Amino acid sequence: MANISFDLVSPEKLLFNDKVGMIIVPGKDGDLGILPGHSKVISTLRPGRVMIYGEDKNLLKSFFVSGGFAEINPEKCIVLAENVDELSYLEKSLVEKEIQQLESQNEMKTNEQLLIAKAKLDAINFTFYNTI
Amino acid sequence: MPSLKDIKTQINSVGSTKKITSAMKMVAASKLRRSQEKAEAARPYSSRLEEMLASLASSAVSGEGIIKLLTGTGNDQNYIVVPVSADRGLCGGFNSSINREAFKLAKSLEGSGKIVQLMPVGKKSRDFFNRVMKDQIIESFVDLNVSSTGYESALNISNKLQELYFDGKFDKCILVFNKFKSAISQEVTQQQLIPLDVSNSEKEEEKENSSNAIYDYEPDEETILKDLLPKNVSIQIFKVLLESDAGEQGARMAAMDNATRNAGEMIDSLTLKYNRTRQAFITKELIEIISGAESI
Repeated sequence: MANISFDLVSPEKLLFNDKVGMIIVPGKDGDLGILPGHSKVISTLRPGRVMIYGEDKNLLKSFFVSGGFAEINPEKCIVLAENVDELSYLEKSLVEKEIQQLESQNEMKTNEQLLIAKAKLDAINFTFYNTI
Repeated sequence: MPSLKDIKTQINSVGSTKKITSAMKMVAASKLRRSQEKAEAARPYSSRLEEMLASLASSAVSGEGIIKLLTGTGNDQNYIVVPVSADRGLCGGFNSSINREAFKLAKSLEGSGKIVQLMPVGKKSRDFFNRVMKDQIIESFVDLNVSSTGYESALNISNKLQELYFDGKFDKCILVFNKFKSAISQEVTQQQLIPLDVSNSEKEEEKENSSNAIYDYEPDEETILKDLLPKNVSIQIFKVLLESDAGEQGARMAAMDNATRNAGEMIDSLTLKYNRTRQAFITKELIEIISGAESI
């Protein structure tokens, strides 16, 4: 089976670095499914889920990213993201609380954070892409 | 001639100083390991960001909006100097070399008719520039504690800098910091942060140019660049903060190691002096007894 090496990097550390079968990243204009041999692309990301699949298309890991960049070439995919959380460690109640807090402040500054928090909640709730 | 008791007290006080410095050395050594790991963990992100930027930099032609971070304002009049020092002392020449270098830089820029402002990071450089160039400080950042707060602290500095930049408050920003070379040596380095110094990545660019030419960009080059450039500023600052933090611990470790060794030497020489004095005292008493006995 063909595989593609995938790096998920945050400013603090390298979170994932292995050969995988497929990755789905949340591109700015729509989700990108990346298979080995993908054409060369540099894309910005919107807040959303980064899903990592093994060679037999089983879900290995899923992360939430708050935005960032992806650089893709046929052998390698690199995702640079600022805030990365592994989805299984996120608590729904905490995120809901965060949203409530941000909504009550309702300032220009928190607007962006609110969008990210909402996307985070969506990412927890959504189950599509879990099996492909 | 000091009495035996005086020497004894001196030995004891040097001994307790030695204990303190060797404890500080040990603390610095373990902190150094942590800081070093942090600095190394941050490296992949910044190097990949630079690579991406290098492949995009060639496409930036217009000098509008955020792209200004790359192309500059077109002026060369207002400078902002950011010395990055530690918050605490007792780390050898770490802080003073930064202050000296930043001061020299500011003076030489002023000498050639530029307007210089300062934005010290770290208590030691803030205090120094508060004394010598108080009215040129526009903002200072202290107690960053980068190894525990992480990326957030760099973001604060970066946001402030970009706010000032887009208000037209300065044209060029230069960082002065200690580059971490090894556990025992740091190198005072100047880095131009804004506008981005492409000359650094030029070599890489040439090397990779052939392979970069065929990238697709989504949404498009300019949008990506607009996202990438502010992030790059924050990442560069983050990297510098981490390097400086690791350097600080290394410098402190070396300084405390030296102090411990000096204290050890001092104790040795004081002990020798103590024994000699004691011996002289005994000899003197003996002579007195003998000459007393002889005279009878």
